[in-house]
Amino acid sequence: MSKMSARVPVRRAALGCAALVGLLMLASMLFGAGNLTLLESFQALLGHGSEENLFIVHELRGPRTLLAVLVGIALGAAGTVMQAATRNPLAEPGLLGVSAGASFAVVLAIYFGADTVGMHFGISVLGALAGCFLVLLTTQMRGAGADPVRLVLAGAAFSSILIAITTLILLHDQRTADEIRFWVIGALGGRPASNLQWAFPGLLIGLLIVGFTAAALAALSLGEKVAQGLGHRPAYTRILAMTGVAVLVGTATAAAGPIVFAGLIVPYFARRLVGPDVRRALPIAMLIGPVVLLLSDILSRLAVRPYELPIGVVTACIGAPVLIAVVRNQRLPRL
Amino acid sequence: MSLSFSRAAHLRPRRSLSGLIATLAVAASALLAPSVQAESKTLDTAFGPITVKPDPQRIVTLDEGALDTVLALGLKPVGSLAARGGTELPNYLQSIAKDVAIVGTTREPNLEAILSQRPDLILAPPGLEKRVYDILSKMAPTVVSDVPVTAPWAERNALYAKALGKEAEMAERVAQVEARIAALRERIEPGQSFSIVRWNPQGPLAMSSHLITGQILTQLGLQSTQVASELGERPHSDILSLENLGSVDADWMFIATLNAQGEATLAAARQQPAFNRLNAVRNDRAVTVDGQVWSSGTGVLAAERILDDVERILAK
Repeated sequence: MSKMSARVPVRRAALGCAALVGLLMLASMLFGAGNLTLLESFQALLGHGSEENLFIVHELRGPRTLLAVLVGIALGAAGTVMQAATRNPLAEPGLLGVSAGASFAVVLAIYFGADTVGMHFGISVLGALAGCFLVLLTTQMRGAGADPVRLVLAGAAFSSILIAITTLILLHDQRTADEIRFWVIGALGGRPASNLQWAFPGLLIGLLIVGFTAAALAALSLGEKVAQGLGHRPAYTRILAMTGVAVLVGTATAAAGPIVFAGLIVPYFARRLVGPDVRRALPIAMLIGPVVLLLSDILSRLAVRPYELPIGVVTACIGAPVLIAVVRNQRLPRL
Repeated sequence: MSLSFSRAAHLRPRRSLSGLIATLAVAASALLAPSVQAESKTLDTAFGPITVKPDPQRIVTLDEGALDTVLALGLKPVGSLAARGGTELPNYLQSIAKDVAIVGTTREPNLEAILSQRPDLILAPPGLEKRVYDILSKMAPTVVSDVPVTAPWAERNALYAKALGKEAEMAERVAQVEARIAALRERIEPGQSFSIVRWNPQGPLAMSSHLITGQILTQLGLQSTQVASELGERPHSDILSLENLGSVDADWMFIATLNAQGEATLAAARQQPAFNRLNAVRNDRAVTVDGQVWSSGTGVLAAERILDDVERILAK
């Protein structure tokens, strides 16, 4: 753990990250794929300029900036808690198939004729729950639970199965193809504004659940026996924590589609900043999450103007090197 | 793949036997009446010159333009591909092409299904993979066009018409369409701008104005948006950012939907505030059209359908 010696006090880290979130939120309002100059964007932000400019800044960039923050908090918290609950630094909702489970559930619902936005949230959370419990089951298997990389392999296998079934649905019924494509690609732009109304309570409930388990998860990192000795019930803690993760991931996926790697990068940086204790890492991850999402979204808008990249492409570009770095690190820490 | 290949190989002896008989027959007829021999002709295809026999009876089309052409010339294929985004033939051709077997999708022609139709002529799209061509050409002479979708629409299917031995008929059909365009042009206010898009919740795709629809609308005196005319040989743009939705705004916006759910697509688009701000939408000039014709159709019959739509929507 010598690498973690350059730790920053939580309060200072939190202040720094919060300032960064503020700056990036401003940048997210100022930069985009549109034909506005920086000055025009700034003026529009203050309420001046053409109707077109005002619309772009307030109606297009505004909601997606808020969505990036909400989804960032959800995925950052979900990744951190998932890693603590599985005691695996590679556990990530996207890699382990939880996001895939959530979006697959929505795809299935669309296939069977569902079309109300509100229903998608419930279905998405259910799909995420199924994914989470599959992950928990996998960790109970001999070998897989003890080896971080095997858990990721199991997640990859699970995702592949879901992708195969999705492909099957697409082949069988090409009518739903366009609608489904919307759900299997993560993106922040163009999501209906009503998504924010749905995402907010979901995020709150999820955060309450995982916040409630933080102390028990921290004890769990000392080992099952110690946690039991301290009066915690590891199995119960894990199930509760994973339920919270499912609510967070389900909400994030319903709001913005599956976004892989965000849940891996965020806790990694959070732990580098304030150390592995989940009680300290969790609040910091909830600030780094928006940083990663805002940054990725801004890049996705600027990379191929006047078009946009799916945000998942950007998070994958940042996330894959982190994944390799974590795996290559010889002292892959057990959490 | 290997399965269908082995079936093709399995069939080869039979084919070569019938080929032998055909050769003998041709040789015999050549001796008796030398003029008949001229009917077999050589075509320049994307994979080099090939010889096709006259009067094909069992045609399989693997290209939307080829299907359109075969039907426009009064023939009927035995097999064809499902339309993009569908599981059957393109809607606009279904009424005149009953009982045509579906032998795969545009993405994945089913080689075994093609073989089971025992084709004597296969009309395949530009860009067909060599690997697939090698197998198809063992089943029947396979005509692969190398004319891009952005070429003048009348040229696009010329090779298919030639393979069918009906160049004169094709020229006549094209002339009919050209005459109709000239007549309709008089009834349309010149200089109006148009754009053809495929809607996607994250933003629209602009269809190139160099495809058949754009060509015809331009011939009718309408003007394309800049973003659509600058696409060159690409059939459509990537997904535009909603911030740049204004670049596909025009006097007329045609929203091509691939699966006959135009109303649902329009309703979904209307949920997007950026869409409702467009002039075309405000003036109620955003119209949904059949994407199987407007964005992936090509040929005389597609042209006639486009003209029907334009006449209904735009003509004075």
